[in-house]
Amino acid sequence: MLRELKNKVFILYLIISAFLVLFPLLHILFSVFANGIPVLLKFGMEFLTETLPAPNKPGGGIFPAIYGTFVMVFLASLIGIPLAVLAGIFVAEYPNNALSKATRSLLLIMMEFPTILVGLFVMAIIVLPLGSFSALAGAIALSIVMLPYVATYTEQAMRSVPQQYKEGAYALGLRKVRVVFSITLKIAKKGVVTGLLIGMAKVSGETAPLIFTAGNAWRSTGGALEPAGAVPLWIYYLVQQPYANYHELAWGAAFVLMVFFLAIFLPIRLSMVRS
Amino acid sequence: MDKFKIFLLPVVGLVFGIIILMLIVFSLNSIPIFQREGIAIYTTNIWKAGEVPEEEFYGILAAIYGTLYTSTIAILISLPISVGLAVFISDLLPKKLREFFIIPTDIMAGLPTILYGIWGIFVLAPSLSGMMKFLYDNFSFIPFFSYYNPTGFSYLSAGILLAIMVTPFATSLIREAYMAIPSIYREAVYSLGLTRYEATKVLLSYIKPAILAGTLLAFGRAVGETVAVSLVIGNAFNIHSSLFAPGYTISSLIANQFGNAFIYEFMPSALFSAGLALFLIGLVVNVSGLLVLKRWGYA
Amino acid sequence: MKKVLAFGILVALLMLGCVSEESKEGAMEQIKIYGSGASFPAPQIENWISEFSKVNKNVVVEYASKGSGAGINDFKSKLVHFACTDPPAKKSEWEEFEKLGKPLQFPFIVGAVVVVYNLPVEGLKLDGETIAKIFMGDIEFWDDERIKALNPNANLPHEKIIVIHRSDSSGTTEVFTTYLSLVSEEFKKRVGAGKLVDWPVDKLGRGFGGKGNEGVSAMLKQTQNSIAYVELAYALHENFKMVSIKNAEGNFVKANSETISSAISASSAYVPDPTEGYKEDPKLFLNAKGKNSYPIVSFSHVLLWQSYPEKEAKAIKSFWKWVLTEGQKKIIDGYAPIPKEVAELGLKAVESIRGE
Repeated sequence: MLRELKNKVFILYLIISAFLVLFPLLHILFSVFANGIPVLLKFGMEFLTETLPAPNKPGGGIFPAIYGTFVMVFLASLIGIPLAVLAGIFVAEYPNNALSKATRSLLLIMMEFPTILVGLFVMAIIVLPLGSFSALAGAIALSIVMLPYVATYTEQAMRSVPQQYKEGAYALGLRKVRVVFSITLKIAKKGVVTGLLIGMAKVSGETAPLIFTAGNAWRSTGGALEPAGAVPLWIYYLVQQPYANYHELAWGAAFVLMVFFLAIFLPIRLSMVRS
Repeated sequence: MDKFKIFLLPVVGLVFGIIILMLIVFSLNSIPIFQREGIAIYTTNIWKAGEVPEEEFYGILAAIYGTLYTSTIAILISLPISVGLAVFISDLLPKKLREFFIIPTDIMAGLPTILYGIWGIFVLAPSLSGMMKFLYDNFSFIPFFSYYNPTGFSYLSAGILLAIMVTPFATSLIREAYMAIPSIYREAVYSLGLTRYEATKVLLSYIKPAILAGTLLAFGRAVGETVAVSLVIGNAFNIHSSLFAPGYTISSLIANQFGNAFIYEFMPSALFSAGLALFLIGLVVNVSGLLVLKRWGYA
Repeated sequence: MKKVLAFGILVALLMLGCVSEESKEGAMEQIKIYGSGASFPAPQIENWISEFSKVNKNVVVEYASKGSGAGINDFKSKLVHFACTDPPAKKSEWEEFEKLGKPLQFPFIVGAVVVVYNLPVEGLKLDGETIAKIFMGDIEFWDDERIKALNPNANLPHEKIIVIHRSDSSGTTEVFTTYLSLVSEEFKKRVGAGKLVDWPVDKLGRGFGGKGNEGVSAMLKQTQNSIAYVELAYALHENFKMVSIKNAEGNFVKANSETISSAISASSAYVPDPTEGYKEDPKLFLNAKGKNSYPIVSFSHVLLWQSYPEKEAKAIKSFWKWVLTEGQKKIIDGYAPIPKEVAELGLKAVESIRGE
């Protein structure tokens, strides 16, 4: 009897666990949708094309934030992806080398690394010497955050390429560079691109690395050496203000950010299920 | 050595260089405060900024305490439900339905942390403050509930928010290890005529290292999380045993104070030394987590 | 893979192109000015920026409200063109600036720090001494004799007083603690005046810190039986109950544009030349004479350099000139314009800015 009861309680516990994990997610998604959609409807297209309104004034939008996120993710990709892909190739191609084992561990550690420290670091070595917050400084911080994700995905994709292809290529007398870039990387393309997208999706939602690097911009859009806004950064600042219209903007921005994230993430994740 | 390898070496060197340079930057910038205060920067709870450098004194003990306290709350909440969900997915669900539960946890793992933050400040903290008031009014003789804090911004709010954020990592690690238990063991255990509860207990004991690693890595994540926590922790230099007290974490201290640090002589150095502490705590926790994984062949 | 990348870059460049194209059409050439600092004038500045951008489309002004401390910090690192600070820059800070160039400082708006509370009691009256005791934690309950004595008719509850203060380095705190140090010897000794002070009430478990006027406002709203200090504009915006404070002549006054203007009516004599801004002593405006004067008022100051690159100099001059003239007619609730003579001092300083 007691055994049976214990078992029942245990199964109940499992079900409750599942509920306790999923409920917050659904609640967060629901909150962002429920608070964000009315804002977008109220502000209309201007929400995406206008700049910050004055406190308690109607209208306005989050254009400088979207622009800044776009510029910084783009620059971060330019800096981070080549580095990350090459590092991934190194680890995949020389798996037994001590250095490459160390690199693998380092990449795993970097993934778990507190991102606020990356921001502080980039402030010390880029922002203070250059004398200005800038999109470039933000992008460099983001590229460091992005690096381990892209490198690890690249490595895994490269390693999953069957050995026969590479051996065949070597048998034809091709040099290693050619084999890696024109054979292995081509076959591993899908995995690598997945890594790139995951990395980009990840950093487009990062806030902490940007607080002391990008500087933020409420009304302007500019070049790489000027301060820039970002969607997550705007949300972080807007929620700390007492104005109702700023809170509305924050919810709307959160909705935009979430849709953007899901639009990249879900297709990738679902395609993994199929294959 | 082939040419290709020589071509790649600088890239790998750069990756290592970033981390080493980071450690150097944090160490160098911490020197002034160490020279001035010695270990007191980590062992006292004082935050005295002064226009004259002689008056300044900083001790970040409250932030270190808050970091460990909130992360511990997060783990205590997260661990049981992470294990529960892992077992639920692998044992109770048919294969076809599993993805319906795995995909949401993957979404949670990747979701921008600021979304947890906006939810925490506008939804979680206000709803917790009601519960906190009730517990304080009726059970304040229990030390954990003994702090009157009507704001909702507290160790507890931060801990719960962190628990929600780290559960996906812990559960997916544990799930993968649990599912990887060879089917011979499974069949052997069930053939003994054990109930599901008893069988699961035995099976879970096989993957203890994975559970330990999941715990360590989740703890490492919780320690480093910044924006969501800084919005709900209350930002007060406080060391208190009650769950309801407001506090600081190292990362929220940096996020909050660094903007005005440079007008003071020693505050930047104090905050870099806080960063150094975070760096080292994070490193030790994460490396131990990864070592456990390696040692038991999970990674 | 290369194709994907190439395509990505192409799209990106096109979009970048579009954006820069757009801004070219909008105006001849857009100049950006960056400022940061005090959160106290932030609502007013945001408003000025909106109004200014209507008449002057070539200049975009960005203001980041981070606190006076952070503003001076950014100004010193030349991360911004101008910084706003509530208390005037200190001599030591001024000397730091002078290593980098020639600084200017002048007031551009007046505001007040008000004591606000969350309690079902209307029209609370307090004097400086009692406020200091509350903020040091000496007075624990709302129905303390010392509060009762000032409010004989109020129905004060026997509840603990929750004290909310700023957690960040802020000019509001400096103005408030300077006032308390002025009226209470004990406060001066135990706490002192500064942008960031160690509140004794925190260690008694009844003190809470909020970040910015924003954070303090949010906490006060949610916290019954609490008391806090914020800038008048925030108190008005949030509809907080304000304490009437006993002024130098013994009258209890609430902050509003009249009582603020009364407090600074004789102030122009105390405002130094903008090239020696650090000489200003904010104590002179506190607890000012006058039957109707509110005791805790403060100027908000702007820090500028005397020279900038040519184009930026022009834009900065046009904005600050506008603020000191047209802008003074567009003051929102919770602030008061600066006296004419003080505005003229500022205008002279703005005129002296040169392009390189």
